[in-house]
Amino acid sequence: MRVIANIQMVANIAVLFFVIPLAIIAVNTLLPKKLAGRVSFYLGGFAGIMQAAAAAADFFLLSANRLHEYEFSLLWDLSIEGSERFSVDSLSLVMLFCIGMVTIVSVLVAKQTVHDRKRAYVNLLMTLILGMNGMVLVTDLFSLYVFLEVVGLSSFILIAMFKTDTGLEGAFKYLVMSVMATVFMLTGLAFIFMQTGSLQYKHVGMNVLRFQSHSQSVLIYAALILLISGFAIKTGAVPFHSWLPDAHQSANTAISILLSGIVIKVAGIYGFIVLVDLFNEVPAINMTVAVIGTVSIITGALLAMQQNHFKRIVAYSSVSQVGYILLGISTGSTLGLLGTVVHIFNHATFKSALFSNAAALHEQVGSLDINEMGGLEKRMPVTAFSSVTAFLSTTGIPPFAGFWSKLLIIMALWKSNMQVFAGIALVASIFTAAYFLRIQKKVFFGKLPDKYENLTEVKGTVKFAEIMLSVVTILTGVFFPLALLYLKGRGII
Amino acid sequence: MLNSVAFFLMSGTNIIWFMIVFPAVAGTVVCLFGKNYAIRSVAVLLSSAFNLLFAVSLYASEGFNAVFPFVSPRFDMAVSVYELSSMFLVFAAAAFLIVCLYGIVFLKDEKYAGRFMLYMYISLSMINGALLSDNLGVMLFFWEGLLCTLVGILLINNMENPKTAVKALALSGTADLLLMLGIIITVYRAGTPYISQVEKLPVAGVSAAGFVCMMLGALGKAGCMPFHSWIPDAAKDAPTPFLAAFPGALEKLLGIYLAVRIVVDIYDYKPGSKMSIAVMILGTLTIVSAVAMALIQKDMKRLLSYHAISQVGYMVLGIGTALPIGIVGGLFHMINNVLYKSCLFMVAGSIEKQTGTTDLRKIGGLAKRMPVTMACFTVSGLAIAGVPPFNGFFSKELIFDAALESNMVFYMGALAGAFMTAVSFLKMGRAAFAGEMKLPVDSGIQLPGQNKDAGKTGRNVGESSLGMLVPMGFMAVMCVVFGIANTLPLDKLLSSALGIHESFSGWPHSTMLVVISIAVLLLAVCDHIYGFKKSGSAINAADHIHYAPGLRRIYHMAEEGLFDPYNLMMRGIEAFSGICVRIERGIAWIYDDAAVKLTDGTGNLLSRLNNGSLSRYLATAIIGTAAVALIFLAVLLQGR
Repeated sequence: MRVIANIQMVANIAVLFFVIPLAIIAVNTLLPKKLAGRVSFYLGGFAGIMQAAAAAADFFLLSANRLHEYEFSLLWDLSIEGSERFSVDSLSLVMLFCIGMVTIVSVLVAKQTVHDRKRAYVNLLMTLILGMNGMVLVTDLFSLYVFLEVVGLSSFILIAMFKTDTGLEGAFKYLVMSVMATVFMLTGLAFIFMQTGSLQYKHVGMNVLRFQSHSQSVLIYAALILLISGFAIKTGAVPFHSWLPDAHQSANTAISILLSGIVIKVAGIYGFIVLVDLFNEVPAINMTVAVIGTVSIITGALLAMQQNHFKRIVAYSSVSQVGYILLGISTGSTLGLLGTVVHIFNHATFKSALFSNAAALHEQVGSLDINEMGGLEKRMPVTAFSSVTAFLSTTGIPPFAGFWSKLLIIMALWKSNMQVFAGIALVASIFTAAYFLRIQKKVFFGKLPDKYENLTEVKGTVKFAEIMLSVVTILTGVFFPLALLYLKGRGII
Repeated sequence: MLNSVAFFLMSGTNIIWFMIVFPAVAGTVVCLFGKNYAIRSVAVLLSSAFNLLFAVSLYASEGFNAVFPFVSPRFDMAVSVYELSSMFLVFAAAAFLIVCLYGIVFLKDEKYAGRFMLYMYISLSMINGALLSDNLGVMLFFWEGLLCTLVGILLINNMENPKTAVKALALSGTADLLLMLGIIITVYRAGTPYISQVEKLPVAGVSAAGFVCMMLGALGKAGCMPFHSWIPDAAKDAPTPFLAAFPGALEKLLGIYLAVRIVVDIYDYKPGSKMSIAVMILGTLTIVSAVAMALIQKDMKRLLSYHAISQVGYMVLGIGTALPIGIVGGLFHMINNVLYKSCLFMVAGSIEKQTGTTDLRKIGGLAKRMPVTMACFTVSGLAIAGVPPFNGFFSKELIFDAALESNMVFYMGALAGAFMTAVSFLKMGRAAFAGEMKLPVDSGIQLPGQNKDAGKTGRNVGESSLGMLVPMGFMAVMCVVFGIANTLPLDKLLSSALGIHESFSGWPHSTMLVVISIAVLLLAVCDHIYGFKKSGSAINAADHIHYAPGLRRIYHMAEEGLFDPYNLMMRGIEAFSGICVRIERGIAWIYDDAAVKLTDGTGNLLSRLNNGSLSRYLATAIIGTAAVALIFLAVLLQGR
């Protein structure tokens, strides 16, 4: 009885992932304009906190019931044939938690960087969350595509909404590339639908085994090629990455946090996870993902070394780190998937931290050109500390969080007989260290220019976000072995 | 009483405590509490006298073997006291006592006297240990310990410019390394580290390598070529008592002791064998080249230090013959050398103390001022030149005899050495003691680098203090005693210790050899007179040899250090490190320049491709899709 009640709880909580954003949009829109200006951010922050709390609660409820997955609907009856089904599992809950966390950080930073159109920002944030939540909860490829478009549309507007030249340009580039991705994906989905007659995950997964004839398999391969390309564009993996630095650099920092911290992962990476899960019978898919990942790691890092704009470096770093995540996915093993999920979480943490640093620097220094900075650790110790922890975590220095996820990914690669990729992933850490050391040295160490003599540390919510993310990074790193034990005890790995 | 002391030493670990630990403790006490000159003197005298007493009592005992378990069963402190080792203990203790007595007086007002004494005492510990140990590995430990104190003494006044210490460390260290290698091979071949258990190893194959390494190590410690070249440098930098103690006495004792043990006990070393010839060649080369260098020196200490090297050559030559007469002769020469060479170094020190210099060009006419010193010099100089009836004559005759028995060439070399020795001592003696006083009468100028007695005016030069004269005098008397009453050292001590029943004492039995030797000495006198007449001064009496056509160039090169094995070694090492630096730079270039430029260049290229043009972005994405398709195709084709 108690177990059934708990399972019902899982569904009840899961519904919140749709209800909260919609409710916040309604409240935020209906509020009088004056009031909205004051409470919008609190509403956004509330949504983020609720999302994270709901994800955490659902995660523990699910594992307490020893369930891997739980299906639910919103208002309709699940037993009707062809009805839309949503499902929560450990992976999607971790993603949902990350969405919540990044939302909180974004709102915290936005409080200091977004000065007008606050209500619009919060509404778009909510649609973005709604889209991402939908993507990770749906159980068929077409719904996935629909929510992906919701995410995409929200992102374009978020980038462009402040009507700066660069913002418009970045949004336009993103839009054009996304249209290309849409074309690829819709075509790919059409091919699969032609083959299987259904786009539900379980049907696709079953039917994919059945195609034997040559012409049939060609269609599936073409579909996969198009889908991979489409998701790669959304992820920003090399060579589909070119829009990403422009868009992420030009957006308001609060929005950059969202884009780099979570959108590329839900819109792109999650698609790859689904693809590799559904089509694990096709060996070429693993190889393709691994190659894209490796190329992304190296090219992203090489490009990051060339940049002089703080946010652009961090954006290229995203390209490079996404490569690690793709490598983890390409193994197709549980260990690899675990590494992927942990790296997604870690990347969300340290990328948010770095963009918060960018916000802090932008607020206090007024510029993000790293050549103009230097010795800022004396004036901005909190920012410097948070930046260094984020950098150490990204590079994979023990005991920071990034070390564990990289370790898991490299171990998974090694065990899946992909030693060459493991070696490259290991060696490429040097590149990561190289571009991050460069940025740290130029910004925080060395001699303080005279003009920054009176600089002070950033205050308020940005500082809070920086501290929070540093604490998360360090605690995750230190207590990660315990987390592994817990997951093992619960049978999740 | 000796027996009771010996019995005390034999029981338990007393021998370790009193022969090895006691000197080190005494040295520490002298160093810590010896600020006062009187306390220092008494402490030094008492402790070295006790050490001598212990050594004599061990000699008086019947000998014993003892094993004190140490770290592991194969690496234990095995002590072997028997006639030869305890005899060497006695010699070392006696030489130490005399040198220390001299040193205390010589270094009376020096600040570093305490440290010097500490090093000396630790050296004594090490020498006692090395002479006592039966285990080759443990012996090596003490042997290396001696190297540490040697470098320590050389560093005392040269912390800022430790060139000589480094040189000594490099050369002696190389010799010790060879010894270590030799010991490893020997122990491996013999199957036991205990000398007393080794069955004579044949000198062939791997064992031959072991013999060569061990012998070079032992002779290197004694100061034989090619590990000699730090000694003349030390003559310049180190305090004189050090010269009397180390190159003069203690190192020779230890080195020759081991050489004899190698030849007699460890290896089956036969007269006339190839190895014997090799060792004799080494000895002859050492004699001739070192004495030739001594001939042209204008500084007393430097001149004497070259003789210290050349005299080793005689010992090596004697031992190298492997004939009983040669080994006894070599050992006897070693004892004699300790006597007269220490005496000569002390004479040099005495002159240095009084005049502030040992440069022969600056001094002269000291005969009247320092008669006792001159007497000591005369006796020891005649002894080293091999004039009858002093001790050097008898030991040299034995070696000549053995050399002639082996090969005429070695004999000629030894004779040439004797000739040049005589010439150089005639020159030194006359330059120092005869003629007029050359020192400025009342300069009052402090000479740099000398103690505060330096710069004494010629007028104040007088005889040295009693504390320095007594050790010198004792040594000089012993030169005479061991010459006239040579039965005592030769038959009573050496032959009996080596177990040889032949008697080598008394007047040399080959009259012809004696006649030739005396003829050579007379020739040397004639040469000196010729040189004196030609150049007009005693100091330049050897110039006609120095600047003889042909020799002049060689001498010049030798003085420049072109033949110095240390310089050759260093040049080799420099060449090697040059190659290493090139390799290292190459590797550094790969990751400092090549890797950086490659990543930088690639990154630059990539970022230029990414120029912000949207059409290019789209094109790249299309190319990317094509690439994905290609990968699919490749994997599928491979799958078929």
